[in-house]
Amino acid sequence: MRDPLRKRHLRDLKKQFPRYLVIFLLLFLSIGFTSGFLVADGSMIKAYNESFTKYRIEDGHFRSAYKLNRSQLKRIEEAGVQVYELFYKEEELPEGRTLRIYKDRKDVDLVCLMEGRLPERREEIAVDRMFAENNGFQIGDVLSAAERDYTICGLVALSDYSALFSDNNDTMFDALYFGVGVVSEEAFDYPEDTLCYEYAFTYSDPPQDETEEKTMSDDFLKVLNAEIRIEEYIPRYLNQAIRFTGEDMGSDKQMMEVLLIIIVLITAFVFALTTSDTIAQESAVIGTLRASGYSQGELLRHYMTMPFLVTLFSAIAGNIGGYTVFKDLCAGLYYASYSLPTYETVFSGEAMLETTLIPLLIMVLVTFLILRSKLKISPLRFLHNDLRSGRRHGVIPLSEKIPFFSCYRTRILFANRGNYLSIFVGFLFANLLLMFGMGLPMLLDAYQENMEMNLLSTYQYVLKMPVSLQQDDHKLEGLLEGVGFLRDTETSNIDAEKFSAYELELIPELGFRQENVSFYGVEEDSRYIQGLEGRTLISSALAEKYELSAGDTLTLKERYEDTVHEIPVEGVYDYSGALCIFMPREELNRTFDLPEDTFLGYFSNTPITDIPQSRIASVIELDDLTKVSRQLDISFGAMMVYVDVFAVLIFLILTYLISKVIIEKSAVSISMVKILGYTDREVSSLYLRSTTTAVIVSLLLTTLIDRYALEYVYNYLIARRMSGWIPFVIKPQIYPLMFLLGVTAYAVVALIEYHRIRKVRLSEALKNVE
Amino acid sequence: MILQLKNVRKSYGEKENKVEVLKGIDLEVEKGEFCVLLGPSGSGKSTLLNIIGGIDTADSGEILIREKEMTSLNEKELTRYRRDHLGYIFQMYNLIPDLTVRENIEVGAYLSKDPLDVDELIAVLGLKEHSRKTPHQLSGGQQQRTSIGRAIVKNPDILLCDEPTGALDYATSKEILKLIETVNQKYGNTVIMVTHNNAIKDMADLVVQLRDGQIQKQYRNAKKIPAAELEW
Repeated sequence: MRDPLRKRHLRDLKKQFPRYLVIFLLLFLSIGFTSGFLVADGSMIKAYNESFTKYRIEDGHFRSAYKLNRSQLKRIEEAGVQVYELFYKEEELPEGRTLRIYKDRKDVDLVCLMEGRLPERREEIAVDRMFAENNGFQIGDVLSAAERDYTICGLVALSDYSALFSDNNDTMFDALYFGVGVVSEEAFDYPEDTLCYEYAFTYSDPPQDETEEKTMSDDFLKVLNAEIRIEEYIPRYLNQAIRFTGEDMGSDKQMMEVLLIIIVLITAFVFALTTSDTIAQESAVIGTLRASGYSQGELLRHYMTMPFLVTLFSAIAGNIGGYTVFKDLCAGLYYASYSLPTYETVFSGEAMLETTLIPLLIMVLVTFLILRSKLKISPLRFLHNDLRSGRRHGVIPLSEKIPFFSCYRTRILFANRGNYLSIFVGFLFANLLLMFGMGLPMLLDAYQENMEMNLLSTYQYVLKMPVSLQQDDHKLEGLLEGVGFLRDTETSNIDAEKFSAYELELIPELGFRQENVSFYGVEEDSRYIQGLEGRTLISSALAEKYELSAGDTLTLKERYEDTVHEIPVEGVYDYSGALCIFMPREELNRTFDLPEDTFLGYFSNTPITDIPQSRIASVIELDDLTKVSRQLDISFGAMMVYVDVFAVLIFLILTYLISKVIIEKSAVSISMVKILGYTDREVSSLYLRSTTTAVIVSLLLTTLIDRYALEYVYNYLIARRMSGWIPFVIKPQIYPLMFLLGVTAYAVVALIEYHRIRKVRLSEALKNVE
Repeated sequence: MILQLKNVRKSYGEKENKVEVLKGIDLEVEKGEFCVLLGPSGSGKSTLLNIIGGIDTADSGEILIREKEMTSLNEKELTRYRRDHLGYIFQMYNLIPDLTVRENIEVGAYLSKDPLDVDELIAVLGLKEHSRKTPHQLSGGQQQRTSIGRAIVKNPDILLCDEPTGALDYATSKEILKLIETVNQKYGNTVIMVTHNNAIKDMADLVVQLRDGQIQKQYRNAKKIPAAELEW
């Protein structure tokens, strides 16, 4: 005979439908989104990993200041690599956009056509899909560059630009202002002096692992260094444009898994509490069943069945949703950030297990532990409705001076402390999500504002140092070039102030990215960098990211070389725009063996118009410094709304479930005080105000705790997962907003509960049977 | 002999708060007997019943059911013992609110390897027309009949009744007593009933009067009076 108690489950589902529905919804949404995310993530990671072979992605690339001749290429290739021309031309588009144009690739870093067709005619171009989407470009649109007009004939993904980093040292890619595109071979006929001579290479004998890849890369760099003057050398394992996407997708996966575990843990805890409440209500029945011979295990299984079934159905429905609606939603989030090639949905057994087995295991474990402790008391105590576990304590003494209503509410608070604790824990998580969801856009705004306020100068002109000046074996040529360089780069702009510059690499600590630190050699009594007083100061960004202060020593190495420099930190300069170091110009030139009067650029608050464009390598303006915040806003802005909604949903569900438990648990007492003559309003003030107090205290306390928790998590993650630095800022206006959202969510619940209190019948206290 | 108690003692509390509830109880009940434990409040009759029922433990003494010692049983074995040998009826019916009369009785049947026929029992209990009703649709008497059904369907060796008529009016109480009497006669179960109603002693085979934790008087009725003829 099957246990007749199982017939209760369906009836219980009907009776407690709102409770089960909200728990189901919370689990369904969490599991569905996670499942969709893991499926999209897994499918896209697979497509991304396969793209290395499918699209023949380079093992690295280097840039030379000039086109290499055949004999140089031959000697380089003797190091065991194949070298491919990957020349590009950068075109300036209106509104400060830059388009890096390659000719269609045939041998390396192949192009994935997403829409339309590849260029055939001279005026045609296929541009990166995401760059086009972010800027509203469509097939057929004409892009007007300085020297040529291009008609978009297709949207593509370049396999070596899954993340649109224009510079490998950038903190973040920039898919709004920077894009890539390909033109036909015939159309790639730009003047030679406007081209950048980039060469991709692949190893003839590919490395087996990352350690070997690094060794091979270092060896190849030595060969290159001996042969040519390198402007840029980026092995694939350090190329953010190639690697960032894969790393980000990998770490997103872990984050989603952790989020799901937290949500299921909270839900399981709430489920266990509501079931504990049912057990308390059914105490006498349980006592009778135990006295009749039902074992503790049988009853435990009975009460664990509904949490298990709800989780199972949520997991099934969530996975169906995950493979359909949520997968597309999550893939859309990736396509909004990355220039990924097309992908095919891949069934993931691991994702299926993680979104079914793990939630079920958590639910079973939490409900088992809590309900077992609840059910382990003797049948007699169940019969006597004596459910307190452990030693019995008397009531907490309260002063007689406390007014009756306050005293009553305090007793309710203490009686429900377990329930209020779960509100607190749930709020801790929901508030963290809400603070992140609301805080990130504000943090990015604050960064933007800070950049505007604290620019070193409105313009930073970085000059193009003649190649011959950098090469020791071209002395006469260098001298002539040097004279011309000095003549051309003098300016009459009175705002302009010279600076020299240098760049070194940080030696990364475990878990940190490799990144560069810029040195600014500034004039004595500089108008732009004030308060230097002959000292070496590090930017606040560098100080905060690596927790440095005056007295510390920073160890840096030459890029592509082994030479190490020890830089003593003498103070911190308030500048968040970059990881950089400021020192007097003479000292910088002396430290790095540069000629005494060397300068490499100008700070200026007004445009410099009398230096030929050919002498200017780049002009750094506000837009260049804020592309990180801009791109983060594009990538995550929309997603943050989902995070906010989800957080508020958790507030609603949690307060609803717990308030419901408290009121149901107190039904007899509520009925009794009603019999005594208390009005509904008075009863509500007794029972709802205790919950209101707990909600408000929890909101305030968790906001405070989450503020510091978020700062810690943010700093930890940003320091490790991103190059550069965006300081953690929480704008004060977030606190009242968060509080308002929390309180509004609770107000909705309080209204429902007020209605519930009004519905408690007077006969509740008088009946002595079911 | 189905039940034998030897010098059973039980106390609650510690040190100066210690209260001795049972002060050495010796009792023997034969199979199929109807035994009434009589006494005022605080005399220890419910504690004694709970100890016999294995939901409370004695501090000392021996309890033998079918000559098997049960004071040494662990929690799991006690559950097994209750499941296999005992049926319980309480003053409060403690029915499962979302199960019907029939299903509540089936809850008891599930616990037995050889349960009585549920339909036949429902007829004996006079609940045929109420079998699809849930407890809140029944009167107190009907609910108590259902709880008797749940206890008896297991066909237990001993039926333990703790003030089964305590919450019922005179007429309904008599009905319930008649039913327990019928069950005792029809199925041959041993019945041990706790009551403070002095009149009920006349329908018992064995009467045990408790006072202050001790057996004040114990005797067997030479002639039982049927429940239907009891007056109080």
